[in-house]
Amino acid sequence: MLQANEIKKFFGGVKALKGVDLHVEAGEIHGLLGENGAGKSTLMKVISGAHAADSGTMVFNGETIVHNNPHIARQRGISIIYQEFSLVPELSVTENIFLGQARGSWINRKQLDKEAAELISSIGFEINVSKKIRELSVANQQIVEIAKALSQKVKLLILDEPSAVLGTQEVKKLFTLLRKLKTEGVAVIYISHHLEELFELTDRITVLKDGSTVSTIATKDTNKDQLVSLMVGRELSQMYPDKTQSLGEFSGTIKIENLATVKKGESLSFELHEGEILGIGGLVGSGRTEVLESLFGLHGKAPSTIRINGKPLLIGSPRDAIRKGWGMVPEDRKKFGGLLNLSLRENISMANLSRSANRWGFIDGKKELEIVNDLMKRLQVKFGNINDPLLSLSGGNQQKVVLAKWLNLDLKVLLIDEPTRGVDVGARAEIYQIIQQLANQGVYILMVSSDMEELMGMSDRILVLKNGQLQGSIDRKDFNEETILRLAIGAN
Amino acid sequence: MREKLLKYNTLIIFLLLLVISSIVSPSFLTGENISNLLRQNAPIGLVSLGMLLVILTAGIDLSVGSVVAFAGVAFALLSYEVYFSAGFLLVLLSGIIIGALSGYLVAYQRIASFIATLALMTIVRGAGFLLSKGAPITVGNHSSAILYLGTGTILGIPVSAILLFAIFAIVYVILRYHVFGRHVIAVGSNEEAVRLSGISVERTKFMVYVLAGFLASLAGLLTVGRTGVGTPNIGVGLELDAIAAVVIGGASLAGGKGSVLNTLLGVLILGMIGNIMNLLDITIYMQQLIKGVIIILAVIFQKK
Repeated sequence: MLQANEIKKFFGGVKALKGVDLHVEAGEIHGLLGENGAGKSTLMKVISGAHAADSGTMVFNGETIVHNNPHIARQRGISIIYQEFSLVPELSVTENIFLGQARGSWINRKQLDKEAAELISSIGFEINVSKKIRELSVANQQIVEIAKALSQKVKLLILDEPSAVLGTQEVKKLFTLLRKLKTEGVAVIYISHHLEELFELTDRITVLKDGSTVSTIATKDTNKDQLVSLMVGRELSQMYPDKTQSLGEFSGTIKIENLATVKKGESLSFELHEGEILGIGGLVGSGRTEVLESLFGLHGKAPSTIRINGKPLLIGSPRDAIRKGWGMVPEDRKKFGGLLNLSLRENISMANLSRSANRWGFIDGKKELEIVNDLMKRLQVKFGNINDPLLSLSGGNQQKVVLAKWLNLDLKVLLIDEPTRGVDVGARAEIYQIIQQLANQGVYILMVSSDMEELMGMSDRILVLKNGQLQGSIDRKDFNEETILRLAIGAN
Repeated sequence: MREKLLKYNTLIIFLLLLVISSIVSPSFLTGENISNLLRQNAPIGLVSLGMLLVILTAGIDLSVGSVVAFAGVAFALLSYEVYFSAGFLLVLLSGIIIGALSGYLVAYQRIASFIATLALMTIVRGAGFLLSKGAPITVGNHSSAILYLGTGTILGIPVSAILLFAIFAIVYVILRYHVFGRHVIAVGSNEEAVRLSGISVERTKFMVYVLAGFLASLAGLLTVGRTGVGTPNIGVGLELDAIAAVVIGGASLAGGKGSVLNTLLGVLILGMIGNIMNLLDITIYMQQLIKGVIIILAVIFQKK
């Protein structure tokens, strides 16, 4: 179906693609794997017409194609679903799905709503199509994005990290859908950092590294360790930090009572232990993120009681929280976590500018630089210039910068939502190490993760939520994927 | 090279215009004309600086032109009642209060800045007319002091120009080296992320409108100081000139991007365009047309 040969693409002096080969058959689900910066996104942009290749050939359906226009690519049957959604927040689901598809000048709302609803239910989901995109959860937005791609005849569907925002259930449904498309002869390119997904779903996997194809292997002939070493030359076992040390040295406790949850009238109580990484698991929409947000004072003064070693603590706003030494790494790094257009320096000193300012509020540039450089070194952030915008870094390094921002405080509690969203394998291991180190230093850590392996690899204890209610607490020795999943679905 | 050019493009436009002006009119590059140019543009310079602060937070302040007029009228009326210094300070206070009102509506009531300041633009303009009963008011007792501010010179440099440069320098330092300045730029860059960093978005926004109001009332004092008359219908459309100057200076209306130095250059570019066309005896109608075209060209050049 698609043969891309020796594709090269330069941006100025940077060689993003140094000669990539990718062959995808009709009726195949083809995994694409590689660290951030390996060239996956660029390759996908070339295939979907967002960028023109500088050299190389592409044959699609027996026809040599040269395109530099996503619209034409789409007409040819090539659709891509990006990590960053291309939906218009203020328009309805229906309007988004049919956006850009001319159907005469007049719009028959009812007819389109019906078609959109049918389309979404045909792919196995249920969404109110007259709702605006901004009213939907991120997971549902992703589903609309997929429905939009399928509203036109698709021969090659490209998905860039689709599962990153989906809960376990949704991912299952998505896989069912992709398998169905496969039987209809559609070729699928599936980009993911989650190796389990690739093993479950794909027929073949192509690994990219530094802008070149390393290898294309049949999925059944390979294993995780081989894939990871192809990507980075690193063993999987090194991914998660050593948990064998006991937590004996710490004795502090944070008691949280009557925390408001997603479900009106319900509340939540639990304990956090000093030096412990407490994981929160559950499906998308189970209220995991809301727990962190409430604790961080984002919902104003919640009627909850927080006690640190018996001493009550009142948090009514993020400002209060930060003053008390709490930090939060949000799920959506682009929207909430970092200031993409501002420099690394400004991002890191943001939460505690007063530390590098005198009492009149004037910033001591030298002192600020010292603090920032120190943190950058401590977290091993790879960057060009401290005054470069955050935007210029890879996802993993951006995440480290967001973490570094909190290390600039006298950090006591760290709330982390999806610590490695959009982060490549190499940087993931480093971020895990950083979090573990913080825990070892006595920082209370509360971590939400949709990645089961990550949740079990990192946590000392896991709380499972469903509909904002606590389903259970599992200690590390009892960790088991099935147990957690059963609690999350409520199938006990 | 290209990046350097981009970085200094406002400066390039400014220098280009300076050279062209000196060539087409021999009377342009004279001390008298330059003094005049600076004096004329000091009020709009102050207003533009306030506008820059607001625009950095992704807002807009349409009320500043009305504040300029109101300040002039208020000062003229007060000059019959109180000491110069009291009148001067009361007028500045009125600017601060008007700015605080805008700031409250935008920051705490979450009304779109365009709407909130549009309403205040009308209200303050109306208040100016009410106070003056629609007629220009001549300054009474302190005319020499206020005229010194508007027309006087120190070592040949207009007092108003010195004030302008001094305030630009202060704001430059605040934006670059003060925590508040950092907050202003951050709020315009990503409000939500800033909130999560424990910075009060509301207070930062509130403060920029207060400053814009303060600077507009100071501009009003300079304006009344040039003629000795408080005129209620002066400064109509001034807010738009200020926005133009800020944008020519490379600021983004989406917030988070803009520079004090380039805003000053933006003001001078607009001022020079008007000045040179006056020297060349181009009719005021034609001037408007040409000015509009130059704004478009300057902004296109910015984007390149």
